[in-house]
Amino acid sequence: MTFDFALIADSIPKMLMGIGLTFQLLFLSAVLGLVLAITLLLMRISGRWYLSVPTMVYIYIFRGTPILVQIFIIYYGLPQLEFVRDSIFWPILREPFGCAVLALTLNTGAYVSEILRGGVLGVDRGLKEAGAALGLSARHRLVYITAPIAIRLALPAYSNDVISLMKSTALASTITLLDMMGIARTIVAETYAPYEVFISLMVIYLVLTWMIQRSFGWMEKRMSRHIKVEA
Amino acid sequence: MEDITGWWDDFFWGSVAVAQIFVTALIMTVLFGLIGAAAKLSKSPVAKSIASGYTIVFRGTPEILVLLLFYFGSAVTLTAIAQIFDPEIKFIDIPPFWAGSLAIALIVGSYATETFRGAFLGVEPGQVEAGRALGLSGLQTFIYVRVPAMWRLALPPFGNHMLSLIKDTALISIIGMQETLFVAEQAIGTTGKPFTMYILVGVIYLGFSTVITLSVMMLEKYANRHLEAAR
Repeated sequence: MTFDFALIADSIPKMLMGIGLTFQLLFLSAVLGLVLAITLLLMRISGRWYLSVPTMVYIYIFRGTPILVQIFIIYYGLPQLEFVRDSIFWPILREPFGCAVLALTLNTGAYVSEILRGGVLGVDRGLKEAGAALGLSARHRLVYITAPIAIRLALPAYSNDVISLMKSTALASTITLLDMMGIARTIVAETYAPYEVFISLMVIYLVLTWMIQRSFGWMEKRMSRHIKVEA
Repeated sequence: MEDITGWWDDFFWGSVAVAQIFVTALIMTVLFGLIGAAAKLSKSPVAKSIASGYTIVFRGTPEILVLLLFYFGSAVTLTAIAQIFDPEIKFIDIPPFWAGSLAIALIVGSYATETFRGAFLGVEPGQVEAGRALGLSGLQTFIYVRVPAMWRLALPPFGNHMLSLIKDTALISIIGMQETLFVAEQAIGTTGKPFTMYILVGVIYLGFSTVITLSVMMLEKYANRHLEAAR
């Protein structure tokens, strides 16, 4: 058994053709997921049970089931229901890309909302009380005091979630999408050389992970630049 | 509901398979986590860099990629070895059960490595010194002092690793393991009801997640039982 370097040189450019799709899946679902997470968070901390209980159920369901099952329910499952096929969302749900983005968004939204809640709960009560004493309204306190601190506290955990979202995009290959993973699987099916192709792809994903980590590390540093570490 | 009639036993055995993979992989995860943590905490630079390499690779690449690499990689290697002895053989693979549980255990084990490492570092050095001062041997200190103390710290994050593990078992259907998702695919083939079947798989996984969450809560209570009064 030999390691075929010509095949590696041949397959890396082919797999990189799919990086655009990987990035599209990642960015679309990260942005939409963040919007969903903030909505869920506001509902959760609203203090009204008819808003917070459904949110808790949602988070429980989406964090308690595998993302692969969620993707399959949306892509293979929903077309079984007639009202879905008649709805205006059908053009999106008919396409594997739309289904993948929807599944990833719903999934990451549940996780990120819990991460943000952790950040909000970590904000010192004294600071909020100080805001109230200064006469800020509840909304102003949320925007000017709680949110900036909560974001800073949640950022390290959030960066981990973006990395797992990036890893989850590879599951789009199970519903016929040709992202990097999908292309790699096609090449392996043709050449039957799993080591060469899959290990090269691992290296590509590792570089992506490293890039995400570095950018968040930079952001964390920037956001806490006013906190001088006493050396 | 009537669509599921006749498939109950298949789903039951599928769930048993999921539980078997989970338990097997859990044992290996603890093992990999402990070995990884020991290597990271050791003084040997070689062991340290191997352990760092392990956590970087397995935390930074998609789970499905690791799984496919293990399954197809091992099959190619085994087939090549077998052909030395008998050129007639066309294909040999590791059973998907073992390839799958090893792959997900290595992935979750890389997360557990960091958890265990942090937990061992979190044990107060004074407690270990006190153990030694009482005349306990190195091994006795490890078993009676270090492990009970680190266990308490590691349990909450380790509960999350167990949830990742149960959810990752869904991926093993991709390499042909006959667990719930695989049963669902077969049931869809005859009934043509993908939504019903995949929702059922989701419900099964939600049940597993709930059992794990509750067990971890009970274990945490048990581990912290002597601290109750201090609260």
